[in-house]
Parts: sequence; structure tokens; C-alpha cells
Amino acid sequence: MYRLLIEPFAAGYMQRALIEAVMLGILGGVIGVHVVLRRLEFIADALTHTVFPGMAAAFLLGGSLYVGALATGALSAVLLTLLTRHRRVTSDAALAVLLTGFFSIGVILVSRSRSYTADLTVLLFGRVLAVDPAEIATTAVTGLFVLGVLWMLHKELVLQAFDPATAEALGYPVTTLDLVLNVLITLVVVSAVRAVGSVLVIALLITPAAMARLLVHRSVGQMMAVGAALGALGGWLGLAASYEGSVHHGWRLASGATIVLALTALFVVVLTATGVGRAVRRRSSRPSTTPGASAAAAVPV
Amino acid sequence: MTGIGDTFASPLMQRALLEALMTGALAGVVGVHVVLRRLSFFTMSLTHATFPGLVIAEILGISLFTGTAAFGLLVVGVIALLGRARSVDSSTATGVVLAGGFALGVVLISSQPGFSRDLTAFLVGSILTVQTADLVTTAVAGVVLLGVLALLHKELVLGAFDPAGFAAMGYRVLVLDLVLLVVIELTVVTALPAVGTILAVALIVAPAATARLWTDHIGVSMAVAAALGAAGGAIGLGVSSHWDIAAGPTIAVVVASAFAVSLIVSPRHGSIGRLRRRRSGPDSLDTGIPRSAGIRTA
Repeated sequence: MYRLLIEPFAAGYMQRALIEAVMLGILGGVIGVHVVLRRLEFIADALTHTVFPGMAAAFLLGGSLYVGALATGALSAVLLTLLTRHRRVTSDAALAVLLTGFFSIGVILVSRSRSYTADLTVLLFGRVLAVDPAEIATTAVTGLFVLGVLWMLHKELVLQAFDPATAEALGYPVTTLDLVLNVLITLVVVSAVRAVGSVLVIALLITPAAMARLLVHRSVGQMMAVGAALGALGGWLGLAASYEGSVHHGWRLASGATIVLALTALFVVVLTATGVGRAVRRRSSRPSTTPGASAAAAVPV
Repeated sequence: MTGIGDTFASPLMQRALLEALMTGALAGVVGVHVVLRRLSFFTMSLTHATFPGLVIAEILGISLFTGTAAFGLLVVGVIALLGRARSVDSSTATGVVLAGGFALGVVLISSQPGFSRDLTAFLVGSILTVQTADLVTTAVAGVVLLGVLALLHKELVLGAFDPAGFAAMGYRVLVLDLVLLVVIELTVVTALPAVGTILAVALIVAPAATARLWTDHIGVSMAVAAALGAAGGAIGLGVSSHWDIAAGPTIAVVVASAFAVSLIVSPRHGSIGRLRRRRSGPDSLDTGIPRSAGIRTA
């Protein structure tokens, strides 16, 4: 156990990777609860793709990937809001077109460079093993900011997620709150993109929160705590598995993708365990179960 | 530009053109169903989750189409099952499968030599390396899939607009939904080796969404979407070869641009048309109508 889970992190680069992965897991797990409760999965997926052209441009011009990603991320957040208000176009079709269009512009930009395929791979799949202290600091600062805003607006955001009509009637600035949440998701995407790559960020945003929702029914705050713990656990297990496979068995396992697989495996375990648990409970108390209540409606603030 | 004839003079470019035209037309027609039923995210998930099938087929040395089709059907089953479980929201299920399936493909492929080249080809396609056998596969799959859609046209459209009435008439909603999902998945599988994941989604959703801005009639919108998809493929290929940029993404940008332009200029649903109507007085049609309402079926 020690050799599998602790020993890999003796080297400095593995420690930095672990710190980055755990921070992103916590961050993704917390904000992911909002994503999952509001069914923003596709929006989050779109954001992970639309930051790509900015990163590609920054990459080619030698600028900061962070700033580049932030620029197109902000632009696409505005375009998303405008497009989804168009009556004739369903929001999912608009998202798909925006996502593929932006992403393709990014690929075209990169395809002008000579080391095309290698560049694309780095941009898409990140390089968590090459994270430097400055990047860790950026992630930490961004993370604290995002968690701080989520903490301050917790009541408003949760009420709006479950009961938008009441939130509006109470005079909450609904559109501004939506925009704030989208910007926070963008910030998380941007800070995660360099480590795990633009394509795999989506797993950090959805999978831990989906598990938390299966496990916790009491409050959104607890869901966030569980999501953060599971996100961090996935980062740790994934890095350890990728190290074990690469160093001791000669399988080259891409580290970012292995983290995602670890999260997916945890999800399957949680899904099976909660399914079995429900079946057992149903059998022991057959007359008094109320399976009709949907998961969303059953969770108070 | 040095003339269309020069661009498509080589057999390589002719094969690519043929593949683009066929895939574009097929995806356009299937896309109308995807857009009507709001299955864009599901389609996105299918393209990513089918990736391991492609890699496994390549490692085992079996036919890419067979391998990916078999794996794709598995993916459809998993998403359908997960989505039916009460405890997991269907879009959450779609997202988990998307990320997990894609990561599985990346891990599999990262254990093979030539990692980044294969991955790039998968994401953005390699339409310029299409062989005659691929063209035959696309043509056969296209004819079969379009045949299924034509046979079930009335049922599929009715099921999209009025599931309750459809079920009341004694149709099996679940079976029909599953047939449509399989058709979408097989379209993705057909398109994937040539055009890649991102372009597959672009070709399925963008022409159909564009067509819906121009016409309310389902049959007409299928024809328009097919024409747009095919034209987007041809124009994108021409542009990419002229400026020496990646072909797949260029096609995607072309079809996305057609959508963006239509959003502004289409007479009935574009921004200009709406502005003009607003100026000429309040339009009762412009308020409070659900997005999917008001469409005549074929």
C-alpha cells in the first residue's frame, strides 16, 4: 500500500503534480455541485473547448496561456449567454455549434505551426507532471478566489438552482448570478486546463459532483465537501496509478487521462454501492418508501 | 483562388471531396433529428466515448468500422441505462460517460507508439487520407441509415413533438428512441475515421440548426441541411488546401459560419427580421412561445 500510494511522491515533480491535482480536484468537486444541480454539464463542456483558441494563440505568440484562455473563455461566456436567449435556436444546438467552431479555430491556428501534432497534444491533454511552482501559485490564488465567491453567494446560488422563480420574486439579480457562476466555472476551467488539458477538465467538473449527489442527500454544503474529497482522492489515485504503471510495469499511462479513469472507476463503485444500498433498504421497509421524490427536489439548502 | 478545377485535380483531393460530400449530406439529415430532440450533448458524448472502440480496433487489427460500431452500441446502452436510473440525471450520465470513455481511449492510445499523431487524427480527422474502401463504407452506411430514417420518418417526427400522444397511439416509444440513437451512433462511427470527433459533431448539428432558421418544414429542413453539409465540406476542403491549413477544422468553421450568418440574416428568425418586426409594432408571436412549438410536421 505504502509503495503504491506514498512512494511515487518522493520526487519533486510528482509532489508538485500531486498538489496541483488535489487542488483542482477540490475546486472541481465544489463548483461541480453547482454544475450538476443546474444541469450545466454541456455548458461546462463547451467552456473547456472554447478556451482552446485563446490558448493556441497565446502558445504561438509566446504569451501567457492563462491570459489567452481567459480572454476567449470570457468572450465565449458572453456569446453563450446571447445565443441561448435566441428563441428559435435551442441552447444545446447553439452550444454545439459554438463549441465546435471555437475549437476548430484553435486547431487551425495550431496547424500553422511546424510541430503541429505534439503542440496539439500538450494543449489538449496538459502536462501535469511538468507543473511549476508559479502555476501552482496561480491555481491556488484562483481557487481561493472562486471558493470565496461561492461561499459568499452560497445561499443565493443554491436557492436559484432549486427555485429560480422564488429567487427572482425575492429580487435577486438572477442574470447577474448566472453570469457570475459561468465566470467562476470559466476560471476553474482556465486554471485546470494547463494541468489536465482542455478536454479532460470536464471530468473534474462533473464526476466528483455526480458521486457526491449520489452519496449526500442532506445539504448542498455537504455535497460540496464530499465532492471536493472525492475529486482530490481521484487526483491522488490517478497519479499513483499512472506512476505505478509507467515505472514498474512499463505501460505508459498518460497521467491526466489516468486521473479521469480513477474518477470514473470511483463513480462506478459509488453508483453500484448506492444502488445496492437502496435495494436493501427497499426490501427491509417495503410499505413506507417514497421513491417518487426526485433527487433534486429532496435536497434542502 | 486558382480555380476549383485545379484544387480538386488530384485523386487524393477527389476522394476527400467525395467523402466530405457524402458525410456532409448524411450528417445533415440525421442532424435534423438530433436538433429536434436536443440530443447535441448526447452526440458529443457519443463521439468521445466511441474513441476507445477506434483504438481497440486498431490495436486488434480488425476493421475500424466493425470495431467502433460494436463499441458504439455498447456506449449507447450504457448511457441509456445510466439515464434511466432515477438517481443519476441524464445529462450528468452523458457527461460522466463522455469524460470516462474519452480518457479510456487516451490511456489506451498513450500505451502505443505514435501517441500524438494518432490522437490528432482522431480529434480532427484525416480526410485527405481517405481510401476507396472508406468511400464504399460511407456510401453503404449512408444509404442504409437514410433508408431507415425515410421508413420511420412520420413516427420519428411525431415522437419528437408529442411523445405522450405517440405512446397513446400504441407505438413503442422506447424502441423507436433506441433506433434513432443507434442511427446517430452509426452516423458518428461512419464519419469518425475521416472527419474526427469535433467535425462529426459540427457536421451533425450546425447544418441542421442552420436549416431550422430558414424553414419550419421538417422534410425541407432535411434537404437544406444535407445541401449545407455537403457544400460546407466542399468549400472547407477548397479553402484548407488553398491556405494549407487543417481540412477538418476548416470545414467545421465553414458550417459554423453559415449558422452565425443565418442567425443574423434569416428573414423569419434572424436578428434583422426580428428587429424589423419589433419596429413595426409588438409581435405577439415573439413572446412566450416555447422554443420547440410552432413547427409543422412533414
